[in-house]
Formats: sequence, structure tokens, C-alpha cells
Amino acid sequence: MEREAGSSEDSSGSPGKPRRRRRRRRRRRRRRRWDGRTRAVRTVRSNLLPPGAPGAPDAAGRAEGLPGQRPRRPPRPRRACAQHLADNRLNTTKYTLLSFLPKNLFEQFHRLANVYFVFIALLNFVPAVNAFQPGLALAPVLFILAVTAIKDLWEDYSRHRSDHEINHLGCLVFSREEKKYVNRFWKEIHVGDFVRLRCNEIIPADILLLSSSDPDGLCHIETANLDGETNLKRRQVVRGFSELVSEFNPLTFTSVIECEKPNNDLTRFRGCIIHENGKKAGLHKENLLLRGCTIRNTEAVAGIVVYAGHETKALLNNSGPRYKRSQLERQMNCDVLWCVLLLVCMSLFSAVGHGLWVRRYQEKKALFEVPESDGSSPAPVTAAVYSFLTMIIVLQVLIPISLYVSIEIVKVCQVYFINQDIDLYDEETDSQLQCRALNITEDLGQIQYIFSDKTGTLTENKMVFRRCIVSGVEYSHDANAQRLARYQEADSEEEETVPRASTLSQRGSIGSHQSVRIMHRTQSTKSHRRTNSRAEAKRASMLSRHTAFSSPMEKDITPDPKLLEKVSECDRRLSIARHQERPLAHLSPELSDVFDFFIALTICNTVVVTSPDQPRQKVRVRFELKSPVKTIEGFLRRFTPSRLASGCSSGSLATKFSQKSGSSFLSNLSHDSIFDRLGQPAPALASNGYSSQASGTDGAEGPEGADGWSPERAQAPDRAAAAADPELRYEAESPDEAALVYAARAYSCRLADRLHDQVSVELPHLGRLTFELLHTLGFDSIRKRMSVVIRHPLTDEINVYTKGADSMLMDLLRPCSPDDARGRHQKKIRSKTQNYLNQYAGEGLRTLCIAKRVLSKEEYACWLQSHLEAESAVDNREELLFQSAIRLETNLHLLGATGIEDRLQDGVPETIAKFRQAGLQIWVLTGDKQETAINIAYACKLLDHGEEVITLNADSQEACAALLDQCLQYVQSRGPYSAPENTESNVSVGFSPLYPASTSSASGPSPSLVIDGRSLAYALEKNLEDRFLFLAKQCRSVLCCRSTPLQKSMVVKLVRSKLKAMTLAIGDGANDVSMIQVADVGVGISGQEGMQAVMASDFAVPRFRYLEKLLIVHGHWCYSRLANMVLYFFYKNTMFVCLLFWFQFYCGFSASSMIDQWYLIFFNLLFSSLPQLVTGVLDKDVPADVLLREPQLYRSGQNMEEYQPRAFWLNMVDAAFQSLVCFFIPYLAYYDSDVDMFTWGTPITAIALFTFVLHLGIETKTWTWLNWIACGFSILLFFSVALVYNASCATCYPPSNPYWSMQTLLGDPVFYLTCFLAPITALLPRLFFRALQGSLFPTQLQLGRQSAKKSPKKLNTPQEIFAQGHLPGDPRTEHSQGRTLNPSRSLSNNCASCSPEARGEPSAVDTSVPLRENTLVEGLGTQAPGPSLLGEATSQDCPGDSKRKSTSAGRAAPLASLFNLPNFSSLNWASSLSLVSGLGSVLQFSRSSLQMDKQDDEFLASPPPSDQDLHGLQGQVSDYF
Amino acid sequence: MEKPFEYDKSRQPANSAFKQQKLPGHYLRLTATAVLSIFFTTGLFCLCVGIILILSAKSTKKIEVNYTKLCADCHELRDDASKFRKACTCSIPFNLPEKMKGNVYMYYKLYGFYQNLYRYVLSRSNAQLMSKNIMDVHGCDPFKMSEDKIPFIPCGAIANSMFNDTIILSYNLHSSEHIQVPMLKYGLTWWTDKYVKFQNPVSSNLADQFEGSAKPPSWSVPIYELDRDDPGNNGFLNEDFIVWMRTAAFPTFKKLYRRLSREHYFKEGLPAGNYSFNISYITRFQGEKSVVLSTLTWSGGDSLFLGLVYTVTGALTWLSAFAIMAVYLMLKNRKENLSL
Repeated sequence: MEREAGSSEDSSGSPGKPRRRRRRRRRRRRRRRWDGRTRAVRTVRSNLLPPGAPGAPDAAGRAEGLPGQRPRRPPRPRRACAQHLADNRLNTTKYTLLSFLPKNLFEQFHRLANVYFVFIALLNFVPAVNAFQPGLALAPVLFILAVTAIKDLWEDYSRHRSDHEINHLGCLVFSREEKKYVNRFWKEIHVGDFVRLRCNEIIPADILLLSSSDPDGLCHIETANLDGETNLKRRQVVRGFSELVSEFNPLTFTSVIECEKPNNDLTRFRGCIIHENGKKAGLHKENLLLRGCTIRNTEAVAGIVVYAGHETKALLNNSGPRYKRSQLERQMNCDVLWCVLLLVCMSLFSAVGHGLWVRRYQEKKALFEVPESDGSSPAPVTAAVYSFLTMIIVLQVLIPISLYVSIEIVKVCQVYFINQDIDLYDEETDSQLQCRALNITEDLGQIQYIFSDKTGTLTENKMVFRRCIVSGVEYSHDANAQRLARYQEADSEEEETVPRASTLSQRGSIGSHQSVRIMHRTQSTKSHRRTNSRAEAKRASMLSRHTAFSSPMEKDITPDPKLLEKVSECDRRLSIARHQERPLAHLSPELSDVFDFFIALTICNTVVVTSPDQPRQKVRVRFELKSPVKTIEGFLRRFTPSRLASGCSSGSLATKFSQKSGSSFLSNLSHDSIFDRLGQPAPALASNGYSSQASGTDGAEGPEGADGWSPERAQAPDRAAAAADPELRYEAESPDEAALVYAARAYSCRLADRLHDQVSVELPHLGRLTFELLHTLGFDSIRKRMSVVIRHPLTDEINVYTKGADSMLMDLLRPCSPDDARGRHQKKIRSKTQNYLNQYAGEGLRTLCIAKRVLSKEEYACWLQSHLEAESAVDNREELLFQSAIRLETNLHLLGATGIEDRLQDGVPETIAKFRQAGLQIWVLTGDKQETAINIAYACKLLDHGEEVITLNADSQEACAALLDQCLQYVQSRGPYSAPENTESNVSVGFSPLYPASTSSASGPSPSLVIDGRSLAYALEKNLEDRFLFLAKQCRSVLCCRSTPLQKSMVVKLVRSKLKAMTLAIGDGANDVSMIQVADVGVGISGQEGMQAVMASDFAVPRFRYLEKLLIVHGHWCYSRLANMVLYFFYKNTMFVCLLFWFQFYCGFSASSMIDQWYLIFFNLLFSSLPQLVTGVLDKDVPADVLLREPQLYRSGQNMEEYQPRAFWLNMVDAAFQSLVCFFIPYLAYYDSDVDMFTWGTPITAIALFTFVLHLGIETKTWTWLNWIACGFSILLFFSVALVYNASCATCYPPSNPYWSMQTLLGDPVFYLTCFLAPITALLPRLFFRALQGSLFPTQLQLGRQSAKKSPKKLNTPQEIFAQGHLPGDPRTEHSQGRTLNPSRSLSNNCASCSPEARGEPSAVDTSVPLRENTLVEGLGTQAPGPSLLGEATSQDCPGDSKRKSTSAGRAAPLASLFNLPNFSSLNWASSLSLVSGLGSVLQFSRSSLQMDKQDDEFLASPPPSDQDLHGLQGQVSDYF
Repeated sequence: MEKPFEYDKSRQPANSAFKQQKLPGHYLRLTATAVLSIFFTTGLFCLCVGIILILSAKSTKKIEVNYTKLCADCHELRDDASKFRKACTCSIPFNLPEKMKGNVYMYYKLYGFYQNLYRYVLSRSNAQLMSKNIMDVHGCDPFKMSEDKIPFIPCGAIANSMFNDTIILSYNLHSSEHIQVPMLKYGLTWWTDKYVKFQNPVSSNLADQFEGSAKPPSWSVPIYELDRDDPGNNGFLNEDFIVWMRTAAFPTFKKLYRRLSREHYFKEGLPAGNYSFNISYITRFQGEKSVVLSTLTWSGGDSLFLGLVYTVTGALTWLSAFAIMAVYLMLKNRKENLSL
């Protein structure tokens, strides 16, 4: 209900669409508003009308009047309109058989690289410059193009298949010829057809609802396919059709429908229906059934198709996957440009060289000189120019043609693996991670800033009723809180024991390419049995998830005894007093408030009641009354004309029961009659409902639950049949509503039934009360409240119950006069309530106020008049309704308030802590209140109690500027220094540097920033944004409250553009869409708040916590794999091309190549491509468990450590060196021999291949059998291809004529000798460097890798500890060294070996150290403040202690585990010398005494043994190279 | 629950090692042991191979006689176009201090002759050389046809520039007695070249078959007169021609010219003593020319280079291994110092 601000304004935006298009549409919409009459209109009329039917000329006339209108001609409408209006055929394929080739080629040539390669290939056709056989040169390009084309073709074919499947779904369409509904395929449906749908059928097109089997003309649809919302939505038959007595007959339908042109706005539909008699009725979105939704709860509906096929809103909303360019790819493109430059330089050099060479031999007429065809010697300049072009062709390999294809392949595989990860699969929702963007996987490994939504992202969006205030009295529901805590524990315990559950509902997805997945779901007939088993309950909640938000946690609420007492007292008294004239007057004001409060909780919502036994049948208990009421009915109709819509003059009216009456007399009368007839069953019902609860949890058992009423239960078997279900299920539009209804039920105030015009509530004593529902004013995010207008059955008054955000409601309360005692009392209640509300907000609860207003008949009539006008208005309907609602919701009487807890999702604090360690900055952007937001932030450890919080609340631009300056000053002054003392205060204004400059290098945790929406708006102004950003950069975390969707996206944009940082935005709601679109990586939570965020996102995860593995493991892997692969590619191509280039020095720069053309062309494509692909897809530089354990390893991706310009150039230099070796070793080996050119070139090719494979071997971190196979395959392939090729043709393949070369070479010892030596010599420096780097300056990743391989060996006997001291080279010694667990060693090495970065920022390594500990440690250790001095202190103690320890290593090992508790690692890092075991244990002690709450325990994400292991291992850095 | 869960309907990914990226694999461990053992064994191997190669290369004998200067007269004679066709012979005496044991090969060696030029390499017709179609001069640009449109046989720049000096080695048995050292014209080429890639037209008379063709401009004799004595070595099958057609990789190259026929005096090889080359100088060429007499090692070459490189690489490997070990020990000492 209380969605974050502005959730619905933005929902009108089209997610996932290019912005330009949106803008255009917006403009169009604006224009439409300007010239209202001339807006584009679609006119739909029945297809069944015979030619010349009435209404046709009429329409034609109108068509002339309305430009842009497309009149539907009645005669043979299907044919005639085929050109204009789409039929329902779904055709998402891009190509047809004919258009495939040209269109696909055209698309592929949009890629510049392809054009370049084709250009090079075509250049080859010019005889003067050709380097290869023209056909051969074209081969790789064609191959690449063909691969892409085949991929496109396959994609298109699968699209076609799924289209076909969808197109051939069947549905009932009215046929003119047969005068009945006949089965047709979906694709045969046309606009204007009449379609009949049964329950659980999927809606084939956008259909205007004209008839429903529901007597009220209602129909429920489930829109999960469209927006992911799982609750049922109500749709209404078009006004004027609901009152039809007989079944709707399409043949008599002559009206004309005018509606908007097709658009993609799911939340809006406007139009009108013009009947034959000229009467007009407005249409709105409640009348429209959208394609892709499913009919629920309604036996059959019929309607006329308004939009079909691609014009349906569902398909217009469907945008394909997005294409983004990843940062790595941008960097790569830059390096490709460097390669181009290199290529040009090489070619230029060659050209000049060739020119000089030609000139040198020009006069001499050398024998080997090949003259022009006219016999003259070539001019040096011409020769140079030709040589230049030829060189470009020969060296084209430098621009890696296969790089782009390989990257695509690798990314597809990466996406596949991410999708397949079982850890990212959510059992509860049976969903896994979705990668919607295929080409930014590696960006996941480089994220620096995470922007997160709060509700639904960090929290469950599962609301649990926690506390309430009624009439100024607070009911704390302690038992409920305890119960929740129990659940939480049980949850975590049960987690392992729960069998792997899967969904009970069958799904088959047709057309998965559509973002709207059409699911067919059979009804689950399982009863929702409650047992004590949590597993059962969990499964059950999974079951029910699709229909309601209710998990047992939300449903079972332990009532507060005091309040329960009061409620039952109300109930009792009212049941006695109900016959009297003013029953409520018998209650004290407080009790009356209590009663109203619960009534409001129960009925002020849009909850739909279903029962699990008949899941799709509404509980329909219609009370039939005889004649007396009939007249009243008529009276009432007149009195409340609004109800005309639902059924004036219809026979079915008589069957409707109602307790409404115009006078007290009638009321009494009806009461009597009702009571006579229903007095008995009602309590039975109540007790029934009650007992179901009692069976569920004993906690819910009320005092008079079973004992008072159980005898009567037997007396009402007949009535009970209807409601005998063990439990009703509530389907709410938002989880808050359901939570409140369940809360009310816990107080025996049970929502029994809701029809569109009446709500029934059951109370134990009073029985069933049926409220006539006059109006429901739905929730919107501007009003932030909703209201129902009802007629109270007891008092017969017209009451307005309003529920909404306290900030809004408190202003709408009736002003209370201070003179009057009652007024004063009210005032007191209000202030009390406000206090409690603030307190709730402080606890992170979502608060709602409940208020009531009693309307007099006159007031109501007056309001009704205007409201009806608003309702029937065609233009500006929404606005008028909004005004009308505001008029109603004033002068309210405060009843109470509720506090609902939005529980944190599982694992959120841990995930956030991990992200912190990983160096990710987390910003929370929420629309919630500041207090709530801060509270949640504390709960999820985003804010720490031990750190400062800077709160920025400014009222004006100037104030904001001043505040920012102050904050900046403060932050800078404390800058690098620590603020050791715990400053938990919220520093708002007036900072002074707390601590003067000290030499301490270790800084304490940086402060966090909290800013509210208004200040944010000021801070985002041009002149302040830099200051704001600078401040925010200094802060550990930033919390933006009350921010609008636009602000969210602005913040993201600002950080992205100004800080040049990689940003990730995660959110679940429509209000996060803009932010998700702006960020580099957008992640949607595929939760309960609709699919809009998911549609806009690049990745969709079921839960926030999955982000951890997605980023820290997959992101890291993807980045590291791709970075290494790209580097390797550059290396490979450069090295290969350099081989050719060196040869130019020996062939007069004539662009000759010693390597056979075929090898040259296919080397990259075939021989050397597979190993790098396998490595690029599968290599794991650090195993997943280590990455998760040591999140700081993620930083390597953030800092782009693996692929930096430096790495690129080093790689290039290495490539040049290797090529020199690989060229000159064979050169010198064959120098002064009779070797021929291509026989010499073949060993070079082989050497290059061996070198590449071995190089890859050094760079590959994990060797699996796939790697072995790939490498073996590559080499085998080369030799077998070479052998076959060299034996295939004696005269072909000029100029190399390689006939039998390979075979001859294989008999040549020199070949083997060079093939062995050259790769080794070439790789020697790299291996040497790697070895030394691993021991002298290992990177964090290397440390992590080393720790990983030791994990299996962690169980060691202490005896082995001192086996070190042997010389290296003895393998046995190495192993034992690897297993040493000497903590002092490990710590010292920690510091000695870790990168300076890690040493420099201890807080970054582990930011979770509460400051208090540090101060305590100071007290323990030395007098000197600051953690750095602690290190000194320990170092003084060090020698003696470690000596002692070395004699007792066995004992020291467990101490290491104490030491290496994560919370202490910052101390470890900070101290430059080994810590002392004695001190360590003291610290441990102090730390354990400081444990604040159990969440802290959860921080120990990894079990101590493995930690101990890691730290032990980090110590052995020097044992590794 | 009435029926078991339908696991297959779940979208849960399969928990296979491949899909979960948990394939058994081992991490490349650059441990001290591994690195050092790799380095030491590789170094050892290289050193061994290097020493063997050096030793075997040392055992080869090689003598090279550069006759560019020595036959300068002929060289100059060729500069004068009028005396182009005039025969010119020069004799170059030399002394073989030690005898050359085993098979002795005679090479001619050209300095600065670019047989690997791009357009040069292309300029040949394989179809013609195989006698598939001897008139096929496709690809022989610019030496396709003579000015009167008669196709060259053999066509192309490679064939045109063929080395056609004649070198005869004679042994000074005594101060006056000169014996021509018997040399074999066979076995100079790859078997496949002689029997697959180069074929004469099937005919008893080659000259008839090559009727209607012209000899390349630089040639003094037509193709069918390359070896008038031996039909098996004539025409396209002439081994000197075949050897020449296999274009050399570097501008300085040697090509096998003759091999010693081990008979009579020369059963053991070339005995030590005085020899002389009688060279009929035909080819006009700017670079230098020499004749090389050499024996071969088992590995097929006669150069020291491979052995040296192996030795150097082995030594370097050991050096780096020692460096690594030093670093390792240094770190270890520091570690021990710290812990003491």
C-alpha cells in the first residue's frame, strides 16, 4: 500500500525502451492533450455486422471528422481491414526466407570491424596489391559472417517456432456463419471479433470485457505474466452491458467503440463506447482484459477484441534484450586502435624499406628482380605504395578478426554458466538468475558503486504486523515479536532440512523469448494443511505464493492480550446492543475506536477472499431476502444512483442481499429478519474460522475460541458448507493490506467475503456483519492513502474509513477545539499517537494511520454528485477523481495506527558486509521516511552504530550549500585521521575537528551520509553537485531518503559521469526503473512488485543476497577471464604478426610471408582458437569459496588490475620478444642451409602454435580436462591438417606448393630441436617473472589462489609444523611447509607479503571492526591512542613471545584461529609485526565481551577453521612462486 | 501431498560439475619445488642437447670458397653485353688440410640473392612443371612469353634466374695429375619433387615435346638441353633445375649442387690435399657466390648454432633457477630472522 513515493507516476514510463522513443511518446501524449478532440482514435465495431448495418454510415461520418481515424468498414471487415489493423498473429521474427541474406548482411555490416575485414579481403582482389589468393582471403571473413548469420538464423528460427506455437493456441471466437462460438487459433482473431474465455484461459488479445458469468459483471485476471504481480486484479464489464438479463449475444452488438491508438501503457486505457442510440459510455482500464493475463475466479467472460497481435499492450511493452557496451570492451576497442596504429606503422616501415630496396637494385638489374610486365623496373615509390597496401593485407591478423566472435562466444557461455549456477537459484520462487543483457557480464566484476532500493530489495516486502496504537494506547504485541524471532531461528535451522522443493504448479513456458511469458498453470488442489513442521509451512507458502503474499509468518499473529480483551468486549457488548437504536453509543469512545479500528483494518482494502479448497471460486455467500427489502432496494437505488451501474432494473437485483436501509425502521426490520435467518449460522461461521486458526497455531487461540461456540457449530451444517473451508485466503494488491487483514483476523475480526458492493466481516459474537461498500477510492502515491465508503450495518451511518501514511493523514484530521474536553482528549491522543509513530519509524516499522469519518446523508449526497460526474467524465477522469477523493478525505477522526515490519531479506547484512569488504560503496536510495530508512540501514549493517552519521537536511539551497561546506570541512579535517571515540551522534551542524592532527596513518571508519529528498534536490543542482559528490565520496555509505525515481536516476548518473565509476543499480519496483536504466549494470529483483524493474534490467535476481555471488564470484570470474582472454588475443596476434614483420627484413620488404597462406589465414580461426576459448570460458583464477571468503579480492576487478594499459603494453613487449625468439632461433638454425622458404615457414608456424599453447598454459590458472583436450586438439589439428593439406595436391596452393613439406619436416631432427627450444626460450622470461613476482610481490589474487589449494589439506597434525628449514627442492619439505600453522609467521608474512594497498587501508580490508574495540584495545595494550600504536606495542612484546610460541606450536595453532576472526583482521593488517598470542587471546576475550547482538555472530560468515587456514597459508607466501 | 514433487518441472539448474563450474581441475601451482624443478630439469636437458649438438657439429668439416673476387674477370666480362655469350672459365685452387670423412656435399652459395621476394616466388607455373600442360604459363608474370608470343618453357622469374654456373671439383693427386672428383647429380632433391612435382612430357624426344616454346631470356640453352647426356636428368627433371625452383628462404642461401660419389680415392670421403674448382662462369650476378664443401651431422645441419643456443638456454635457465633459489632463501632467512 505505502509504496515508495512516486511508484506509480513512473510506471507509465516504458521500461526497457530507448529513451528517445519515450520522449517522443511523451511529446505525442502532450500534443494529444492539447488538441483533445483531434487525437488519434481507433474505432472498433463488431465484425459480425452485415454490410450496411446501422451505425456504419454513422461511423464513416465520424471518420471524416476525426483525422487520423481508421474507420472499420463493416462489409467483409476481415478482408477490408487486414491492411489497417493487425490481426492477432504473432510474428516476432526478424527475417523471412527471402530477406534473410540481405538483411542479415546489412545488419552485420553495421559493425565497423566487419566492414574493415571485408575491405581488406576485397583489397586482395586488386592484382597489384594482393597478398593472398583472393578467394582465400575472403574465407575468414565469410566464415565469421556465416557464424554470426547462422546464430541469427537459429535465434530467428526459435522465435518463429515459439510464435507458431503461440499462434496456434486455440480459443473460442464467435462465428457469424455458425452463430455460435467456435474454436479458432489465436492468429485468426481479428479486431472486432467476439471472444469467449473460460476460467484459467490465457487472454489472446486485448479484449474489452462485455460480459461475465459473474452476476456483478466482474472478472478477475492474474497479470503475473505481464507485470509479475501475483494478486488478482478485478476487471469490470463495460457499463451498460452488465445489466443485460440474458447472456450477451454478439449478434445484437451494434455499438461502436472509440479508443486510443495502440500504446504500451499498461496502466491506462481510455475510450468510449457509443451505442446505437447515440448514448456514450466511458471506457477505462478496468474494462480491458490484457493479452497474456489469465482469467481467474470467473467461469466465463466474453468480449470484443480491441487490439490484436502486435498492437496489444503486452507486446508493445515487450522490448528485446538490451545492448550495452562493457567497460572492458571500450578499453579493448581503444587498444584495437593502438593495434591499427601499430599496423600502419609496420606497413609504413615496410613500404619505405621496400622503396629503398627497390632503388638500390634498380640500376643493377638484378637477376631476381621481377620487372613489370612491360619489362621496366618498378619505380621505388609505386613499389612502396603497393607494398604498403600488401603489407596491410599480410599483417591484417594484427586486428584480430576472431576476437569479436570469440568474445561473443565466451560471453554467451558465461551467461549460460551464470544462469546454471545452482546457488543463484531460488527454491522458493522456482526462479533463477536471468541474464537479460548478454554482453556486459564482465562489468559485474568491476562495480564500484551499488545503488540499491530499499523496499523489496533489501527487505522482503513481506509485511508482518508488529504493533499498533489504538486511540492513543500502544499495544506492543510482545508475544508476536517473540514468535517472529522464533520463526527466524526456525527458518535458519530448517533451511538445511527442507528437501529441495520444487513448484507444485505445473508450468510450461511457451514463447520464452517474450518478456511476457505465457504460463499455463493448472490449479493446485492441495489443501493447505498446517502442521508444526516448518518445512511444510514453507512449502505451503510456496504454494500460496502465487495467489497471495501470505506466508505463515504474516498470517499467524499473536494478539496482544489487552487489546484482544477490548475487542472481545466490544464484540460482546455490541452483540447485546445491536438491536438498539444506536448500538455504538453503548461503547466508551475508546472501545468504539477499537471497534472501528478493526473494522477499518478489515474492510479498508481491496483484498479478495478465496478459499483454498475451491481456489478459483470466490466464496460466494449471497444472502437472499424476500420482499421487504425489495422496496428498500428500490429506494436505495434512487438514493444512491451510483449503483445504477451495477444493476438497475435487472432481475438479478432482487437476489442481492443487502442490509442497507433508508431508515432505522427498515434497519431494524432487516436486522430482525437477518438475525432470524442467519443468527445461528453466523456465529458458527465465526467459530469455524476460528477453529481453523486454532488448528494453525495455538498462539492464535482466543479465550472464547472453541468453548463458547463449538456446540453451535454442529447446528449449522448447511451454512457451514459454504464457508467450511479451513481457512480463507486473502489476495491483496500489496502485502501491507494482507498483513493488516491477517492482523485483524487474529483479533477474531475476520474478513469473510468481499464482493464488489459488499464486504462481510465475521466477529465471534456479533456474527457476520455485512457492510455495503459504496465506494473504494484506491491508493495512489500522491494521496498516499486509500478510503472506503461504507454503510455501517449497525448504525446505518455512512462511514469513510481511510488508511494512509501518517504524514498525510495527520494533516487531514478534524481540527479539535481546545476548549472542549473531548477535543483536548483527542489532541492528546493525537500527540501520543504521533510520538509512538515516531518511535515505530525509529524501529524501522512502516507506519499507517487509520482514520474514520462519519458522513451525513446530505454530505454524502453532495459529494456523490460530484464524484459521479468525475467518474463518467471522459477527459481528465483521473484528475477529477483525484479531486473528488480529496474532498472526501477531510475532517477525519483518528482511530489509531499500525506498525508493520518489512522484514529484511535473508542474508542482507552479510551480503552488505561482503560488499563492504569487496570495496563496493553502497548507496541506498529509497522513497521511505528518513527514520525508517536509517533504521533499516542499521539493521542491514549499512550503518554501524560505531560510526558517525552525517545527516543533511536542508530547507533551502543556501542552507544546503552551507551544510555541505561544513560537512566537507569536517570530513577533510578529520580526513586521514581516525576518530577513535565512538561518536554515535548524528552530526547535523557545527562540526569541529574532534582530533587534532596526529601522525597516525590508520584512519577510522569514514562517516556515513544521510540525506533526504529535498536536500538531495538542492545538492543535485549544478553548483552543488561537485561538493556533494566530494562529500559522498568520503563517506562509507550514503542513504538518500524520500527520493523520487528521477532523483534516483540523477544520483546514479552523477556518480557515473563525474566519478567515472562503474555503477550498479538494483531495485524491484517501477520507481527504480529509471535508475536501473541509467546505471552501467541494472539489476532487477524479480520479486513481487511487478516485472517493470526486471524488464528494464540487465540481470534479474530473485533475491538481494544472490547479488553477492553474482558480483563477487561470477563478476570477478567473468572480468578476469575476459580480461585475460583479450590480453592473450592481443599478445597472440602481435606475436604472430611480428614473425611476419621480422621476415620482411630478409625479403626486401616485399610483403612476402614465409608462412603458408592457408596457415596464415586459418591459424587464428582454427588452430589456436579453441584453447583460449576454453580458458576464457572456464578458467577460474581463484575458486569460488575463496572469493566469497575473501571479498577484497574483488578489488582487482574494480581497479582493472588485470587489464590495464600497462598490462597491454607489457604484453605487447613480451609478444615482440617472443616473436624475436621464435623467428631468430629457426632463422639461425636454418641459416646457411638449403632450406626453402615455406619449408622453413612451417616450423615457425608450429613453434608459434606451441608457444601460444604454452603461454596460455602459464596464464591458465585452473587446468581441467577440457583445457587439456583443447590444447591437445589444437596441436593435433594443426599437424593433421598440415599433413592432409601437404599431401592433397602437388600443384595447387601457389605460391607455397607445400607438397609433402610437413612429411619431410617430420623426418628432420632440426625441426624437432627448434620446435622444442624456441618456445622454451621464448617463455623463459615470462615464467621467470611470474615465479619471482609470486614470491616477491604477490597480488591479492595470487594469495587467494594459494590459500585455495591448501584448503583440502587443512587437517594436519601439529607434528609437521617444524619440518621446515630444509632446503627447497625437496618436495616433501615443501608440503610440510605448506602446512605449517605457526601464527606468528603467518601474521608477519601477512604484512610482509600483502600488497601495500591492503596495508595502507586497513579499514578497507575489514570495515566491520567496531571502534569500541579499538578503544578497548588501547586501554588494554598501551596508553597511546590509535590502532597504529597498538602495532608498536605488540612489536615490543613480540620477540619473546614468539620465541616462546615456537616451542609450543601445537598450542599456537588454535590461537591462530582466535586471531583470525574476521573482525580482527584489520588489526592483523595494521600491525606491521607479528602479534602476540597472549595479547591475541586478551583481545579475543575483550571482543567476545563486546558482542553486541547476534547479528554479529552471523558476521563470521566463514567458519573459523577455514579462516585459520587461509591466514596460515598467507604466511607461506614465500614458499610459493 | 498426494503426488511427489515434479522435479523435472522445476527450473532448478542441474547440479553437475560442468554446469556448476566445478570440474575437477588443478590450479597451476608455481610452488618453489615445481618452479625450481622445472627450471633445473629444462636447463639440464638443454645443456645436454646443446653439448651433444656442439660436439656433433664440431665433427663436421666444411670449406667455403668465395669465387666472386677470384673470378672477377668473368664477372666483368658479363657486364659487357656484347661478350655475354662468351664462355669464361676460372680455376680456383684450394687446400683441404684435413680429409672430409663420409658423405661430402657440394653446394653453391649466393649472397644477397633474393629468392623470397613476393612477386618472384609467385612467378612460376606448377602445371607446366608437372607437364599437365606445358603451354600453361599462367602466373608466370612477367616471364610468360617472348616478344613474339611464344611461351617460355620453363616460364616465370624463378626459372629465368636459374643458377647455371658449372662447377667441377678436381683433386690434385700429384702436382701435375688432376683427377676430376666424381660427383653425383642425383639425390639432390626431395623425392616428391623429382617424381611428383616435376614431370617431363611423356615422349622419347624431349625436344619435340617442347616444340613451339622459347627458352627463358636469361638461359643459354633450352630446357631440353640442360643435361644432354642423361635423359633422366633432363628437361624438368633436371635436378639442378628442381633444386633451384625450391626458392630459398633467405637472401643468403646455399643450394645443393653435387654430392660426392664415394668411389676409388674417395671411398672414405675427400682426402686431404690440394683441390681446385673449375667454374664456368655464366650467371651474371651482383652478389657474391661461393662453393661450399661440407659434411653433415646426424641432425642434418652443419652449423654450430643450434648447439650453442641450446647450451646458452640451458645456462640461462640454470641461472634463473639459481636466482629464484637465492630469492627464496633470502625470504626464508628474513622470515627466520623475524621469527627468532
